[in-house]
Amino acid sequence: MAHELIPYALFLPLLGFLINGMFGRRLKSEALIGGIGSATVGIGFLIAGWTFVEMLSLAPEERTFIVPVIDWITAGNLSVNISYQADQLSILMMLIVTGVGFLIHIYSIGYMHGDPGIGRFFAYLNLFIFAMLNLILADNFLLMFLGWEGVGLCSYLLIGFWYDRKFEKGTTGDAAKKAFIVNRIGDFGFLIAMFLIFMTFGSLSFQAVFAQASAFPAGSVVITWITIALFLGATGKSAQIPLFVWLPDAMAGPTPVSALIHAATMVTAGIYMIARCSVLFALAPTTMMIVAVVGAATAFFAATIGLVQNDIKKVLAYSTVSQLGYMFLALGVGAFTAGLFHLMTHAFFKALLFLGSGSVIHAMHEEQDIQNMGGLRKYMPITSFTFIIGTIAISGIPPLSGFFSKDEILWKTFSGGHIGLWIIGAVAAVLTAFYMTRLTILTFHGEKRWGEGKHPHESPKTMTYPLIVLAILSVIGGAVGWPAALGGNNALEHWLEPILERANNEMHLIAPGHDPMEYALMAFSVGIAVAGMFLGYTMYLKKKEMPAKLATSWPRLYRTLLNKWYVDQIYEASVVSPIQVGSEKVLWKGVDVGVIDWTVNAIARLFGFISKYARMAQTGVPETYVFVFIVGVVTIIGFLALK
Amino acid sequence: MPEQLLGDITKFLPEITLTVMFLVAICADLMFRKSPQIVAGITLTGLILSGAFVLNQSGMNESIFGNMIAVDPFAVFFKVIILMSAIFVIVFSLSSVELQTASRRLGEYYSLLGGLALGMMLMAGASNLLMMYLAIELSSVSSYILAGFTKEAPDSSEASLKYVIYGGLSSGLMLYGISIIYGLTGSLDIYEINHVLAQGSVSGSALAIAGILTLVGFGYKISAVPFHFWTPDVYEGSPITITAFLSVASKAGGFAVMIRFFKGVFIDPSATHLPEGMWASLSGFEWYHVVAAISVVTMTLGNLVALWQDNMKRLLAYSSIAHAGYMLMGVVVLSNEGLAAILVYFMVYLFMNLGAFYIVMVIANKTGSEDVEDYKGIGKRAPFLGVALTVFLISLTGLPPTAGFIGKLYLFAALLNSGWIWLAIVGALNSVISLYYYAKVLRNMYLRSEASEKKTEMIDIPRVQVATVLVLLVPVIALGLYFTPLVEMAQASVKMFGSP
Repeated sequence: MAHELIPYALFLPLLGFLINGMFGRRLKSEALIGGIGSATVGIGFLIAGWTFVEMLSLAPEERTFIVPVIDWITAGNLSVNISYQADQLSILMMLIVTGVGFLIHIYSIGYMHGDPGIGRFFAYLNLFIFAMLNLILADNFLLMFLGWEGVGLCSYLLIGFWYDRKFEKGTTGDAAKKAFIVNRIGDFGFLIAMFLIFMTFGSLSFQAVFAQASAFPAGSVVITWITIALFLGATGKSAQIPLFVWLPDAMAGPTPVSALIHAATMVTAGIYMIARCSVLFALAPTTMMIVAVVGAATAFFAATIGLVQNDIKKVLAYSTVSQLGYMFLALGVGAFTAGLFHLMTHAFFKALLFLGSGSVIHAMHEEQDIQNMGGLRKYMPITSFTFIIGTIAISGIPPLSGFFSKDEILWKTFSGGHIGLWIIGAVAAVLTAFYMTRLTILTFHGEKRWGEGKHPHESPKTMTYPLIVLAILSVIGGAVGWPAALGGNNALEHWLEPILERANNEMHLIAPGHDPMEYALMAFSVGIAVAGMFLGYTMYLKKKEMPAKLATSWPRLYRTLLNKWYVDQIYEASVVSPIQVGSEKVLWKGVDVGVIDWTVNAIARLFGFISKYARMAQTGVPETYVFVFIVGVVTIIGFLALK
Repeated sequence: MPEQLLGDITKFLPEITLTVMFLVAICADLMFRKSPQIVAGITLTGLILSGAFVLNQSGMNESIFGNMIAVDPFAVFFKVIILMSAIFVIVFSLSSVELQTASRRLGEYYSLLGGLALGMMLMAGASNLLMMYLAIELSSVSSYILAGFTKEAPDSSEASLKYVIYGGLSSGLMLYGISIIYGLTGSLDIYEINHVLAQGSVSGSALAIAGILTLVGFGYKISAVPFHFWTPDVYEGSPITITAFLSVASKAGGFAVMIRFFKGVFIDPSATHLPEGMWASLSGFEWYHVVAAISVVTMTLGNLVALWQDNMKRLLAYSSIAHAGYMLMGVVVLSNEGLAAILVYFMVYLFMNLGAFYIVMVIANKTGSEDVEDYKGIGKRAPFLGVALTVFLISLTGLPPTAGFIGKLYLFAALLNSGWIWLAIVGALNSVISLYYYAKVLRNMYLRSEASEKKTEMIDIPRVQVATVLVLLVPVIALGLYFTPLVEMAQASVKMFGSP
């Protein structure tokens, strides 16, 4: 019953996009614009919630609904429908996207207050939600790809929302372009994967493809290539090595955008896609290994960069990259549930942290450098308190949500026998606790380091209420995955089991039990989180001279981290410049002008020449017409007679 | 027998409606000479009513009046195309400035449009050579008058006269061909002719000559090269509304009657050795090779000559010749797939071609010019019209995401599936050539600006005309993105009475 409403959950944000996009300028009232934008998403959340309740009332194997909308393309044996698949996995994503999305829409009403482009802003946000819902609810690869491209487009539009503002060396427009282009590389992988899937399985529908996949042996070459191409797509969208460079720059967009798209929802699309295709991935051990290694490496690598950044949003951006790395690590070791669990808790606390940073930036009049903050705790109590909750959650202190999900990932990595990856993950966890503590202390504690001209104040209610809700979710969100080892029943794992069952069987993971090792690791996790936080506390609140001393004693390391391992420069030198030079000297001036243009122009002149004479036949004199007519008839008859 | 006749009459209701409408319109014209809108209203009502009856016939598959006229899905599809374009053209005419020069005769104009539509509808269903000939004549005679309707303009009269001469010649040849066929087979009924041919006692060469001569009549209707000479002159000289109508509906009627003739006469309905949907040609006369050659010549010449045109009406005239060439490719493949592709193409062509003509008319209403040169700066002066014309021209070229792409896609797919690869390549190359002259218009609209100050003021268009453009524009985009229903409808409409 409720699931039949799912198309409306997509249609309403689209409608909101059209209304705000076309009439946004004429609608004078910000409340109306924001109200339309938020309500469309809020109703989507209600539909998702209702469908969820409906699912609860059914047996686990009956919880998959296919809601067809139209037969879109039928050509030869390609048949693609616009139809939506609501099951345990997509409803989880839908709840997160519409729920967090709704809160961020509300928050944006306050944040974007007074911006002349507010109509455009909400139009884009709604378009994003529409595209994202297509991505997660699609029942076939093509529709998913459409959503995949759609969110990329919205991301581009929103990063460059203030297209004329300065950002680093260029404008926000440049950051938007960077995001778009890097994403295109990943999208190319997705496309290749789609072609391979259609060639191999003759269908693009999830159910048909996954049903046929069982016939393939584990490690089959074609499945491996399909999954590698899909994973390339995921690295683009979810900002993993080597395609993570766009995400930090994406912070050029308005902060609610960073929270919604570049932390809570869009960047998790890669995780979702791999979980959706878990059947395929489970059949490709090579790819799984690649996913795990790339994930762990990204988690570590991004965390090191986060240690020294001074832009409040940059720190959070690298933290996002790092946490996404954790999720990929989980997927790679076959712990799909753990990856999705972390996706969910991360959506809560990272959205919270981003919105909190937005609140700070708002209060500090667009100041983003944490070196110029400090002591804000007294001026913005709600923001400060909720931000600290976010920090504790992401650091992995129980019983906040982050602990459970992160610990599950680490435990599954360890128990799967990937000790090396586990060590990297554990180190990254220490670093996370450290840099988040540093960020919190430099922003909210200590003495104030900002000038007289600034008058920080707590943000309006439309901004603080979402913070409070997200803070509550960050605290209690871990309950859905309360591990069996601590007397819970890991409801999330049971919920997702029907979807992931086949992949899990393939992966032969150890059944949840009461392994004494699990308790030891749990204690260890808490220990390293506390250690990281303590270190941050000491260095930035007690012995403030230490950071500077460290930086001067290891200048090279410090500069390397500050410059983000010089990845941008390496890409510039190894990819961008050669392409630019090659395309200018060889492709443009050589191939294009010399060969293609010349040929095209020659052909064009040839046709022009023929045409000039061909039109002479049209003399305007009926006698000629009749003559040619008769000649034509005779020629055809002659042609047939000769044959 | 009378019961039979009465039953047949109920299946002839769309045509009867148009006949009655025609008579009522003439009488109304005598009474309300001052307000031709009344006649327009009557004609419009008649067309819509007739359309309702046509839709009521969907799914029917029989023959009436002793095999004179077939009422089958194929005929219904073309009748829908013809009626839709007639309705659009009447709406266009209501806002035409050009036609106001002859406002006293406008009533006549509308009633003749109805008569013309009637002739074309009969072409769509005719299944007897005599009926085919009469239907073609009925539509031709109405066309001659309408082409010369603005007789005050010299090229209009000239166009009309050329049209008469040319039409007379081709119908003469066609009659000659029909008489030879009658002599060879002793019948005018296409099903019976087919039956006689299937026995294989008819001389191949005589049949070939007769077939070619009959083809001339159809070729003239669809303006296939070398029977196309009337087209540019008539299209340029006629009022633009008539040009638009001839370029769509007249071609539709011509294609319908031609396909029915060839399929009904030369295809073996009892053949079972071919895969589903493929047609078995009766030996003796390989007409499809002739059609393939004509198709190539038609599209190539149409496109090449269009390159040099500087008058929009003439440019679209040659472009419509080229489109007839594309559609002929669908006849060549001898399969239901090819036929369905033609039907898809026609529906798409209806919207994009009428749309392009309409915008040319709206712009001419305001600027008084149809010169491509005078389109400079139109993109800025009339942004909506500029964008709409861009979409129509892109669709005519056949680029995604417009409906024109889907039309070409299915045509080419049909060709490739039946092994006509060289023809598909020629068709694709022709699309590339056509891009040049369509893009020339776009370049003038957007990249060139008018030097003189006078021609920079905005062009205002009444809301009704904006709405009309939208009605044509929306399907061109929508069918480009979501084409399954159209394709399914076309696939269901290939069914002809008495054929596989």
